[in-house]
Amino acid sequence: MSSEERDGKKPYERQMRGLYDRVNLSVGTLNRIIIVLSILLVAVIAFAISKSGYTVTFDSQGGTAVESQERMYGDLLDAPEDPTRQGFVFTGWYRDPDCTVVWDMEGEEVAESLTLYAGWAEEPSDVGNDSVLP
Amino acid sequence: MADNKSSAKEASKAASQNKKKIGDILLNNAMYIIILLAVIYISWRVPAFLGLSSIVNIISLTAAKLPIALGIGGCIVLTGTDISAGRVVGLSACISASLLTTTFKVFPDMTSAPPIIVVFLIVIVVGGVVGLVNGFSVANFKLHPFIVTLSTQLITYGVILMYLKNGTNNGQTLSGLTDSYRSLVTGTLFKIGNVAVPMYVLYAVILTVIMWIIWNKTTFGKNMFAVGSNEEAANVSGVNVTRTIMMVFVLAGVMYAITGFFDGARIASANANTGLNYECDAIAACVIGGVSFVGGIGRISGIVVGVLLLQIIFAGLNFLSVDANMLYIIKGLIILIACAIDMRKYLVRK
Repeated sequence: MSSEERDGKKPYERQMRGLYDRVNLSVGTLNRIIIVLSILLVAVIAFAISKSGYTVTFDSQGGTAVESQERMYGDLLDAPEDPTRQGFVFTGWYRDPDCTVVWDMEGEEVAESLTLYAGWAEEPSDVGNDSVLP
Repeated sequence: MADNKSSAKEASKAASQNKKKIGDILLNNAMYIIILLAVIYISWRVPAFLGLSSIVNIISLTAAKLPIALGIGGCIVLTGTDISAGRVVGLSACISASLLTTTFKVFPDMTSAPPIIVVFLIVIVVGGVVGLVNGFSVANFKLHPFIVTLSTQLITYGVILMYLKNGTNNGQTLSGLTDSYRSLVTGTLFKIGNVAVPMYVLYAVILTVIMWIIWNKTTFGKNMFAVGSNEEAANVSGVNVTRTIMMVFVLAGVMYAITGFFDGARIASANANTGLNYECDAIAACVIGGVSFVGGIGRISGIVVGVLLLQIIFAGLNFLSVDANMLYIIKGLIILIACAIDMRKYLVRK
């Protein structure tokens, strides 16, 4: 911005540079904006805290449906009833759909909303069709 | 009588000035006050928040997010920004995780992992190249960094997706990292009580010191601030503006690559979403820490404080079981407030 351009502007506008180059605000307006946004932020945080709780959903990956659970930070999960699936044996709950990271129901605490995936192993042919615990 | 009147007038004038001063302090520090109140409330609700393991966790998270913020800080000092940062972190994490692994799904022909230092240098070069493209376009074509880094963000994302399709991987999450890689990054630095402090805290400290020296003690650092506060003046006084801008972006790219290298081992896996939105946190941290969008203003210590404050508030909200979806809204508001305060400080200073 050249000095000629600057001179045509009000004092508070002269100072703006960089990303605020075109900002056209007075200190008073900014004060109000800061106050309103701060109140809004506090309100949103309060709202978020009032609605707190993590949802743990269970994706049975083809097996019978399992109900989701609501938990707070640091809580343990209640082991749900094992789902069943025709021709497969349930192997446990996993963090990933590929079933590589096991979720330990007794030891692992909930720290975020998450989905657990059912692990299935193909049932050996000489055993009946009912699902068996591993 | 007249004396009384004038002294009363003076007193009321002084009182109103005092009031204004207090108002100024309150407004300029609104963000810190809100965060302080939130911390007090959280530690009252969940005392474990101030426990040792929680504090170590916050420090570790700060260390993990620090390098990227240190990189972006330089771009903001140049009145720019860099929104390709998160994707560069992701690319670097994916490259590290694909090479320093025991399964080699991306390169099925490989049988043993290359030396860690080689992989580290590869990701640094990759990050540096992305930074060079950003810096070159910004410096030579005078394009706004926002649009340049938006395009490199998308291109990098495309490269990540293609990279993950390579070999037998088929776009899956990369895991099964080698022990040496994991222990180099997440191994125990030292123990406080029985809480382990991971190695990457040390690396973050080293990087912070290096960046502090670059910003404050080198000609390049001084040139960066000169270009940031007034490009034309810097040019007239003999600063090579083009080279300075390019170097800032290359340095930033290298810092993102280092973040990604640590993140792969820290999270123990890498996929196309690794690094997503990291730039938002980093930009927010810089603005909270007083790196101003007016250009040419910023301190390394401010960035460290900014990253730390953000991690404190998010770790705290995590303790209160606030859902991640709400955190995005809170982050957005924090950025807006930080910007408004930044503008206010600048306007009042004049």
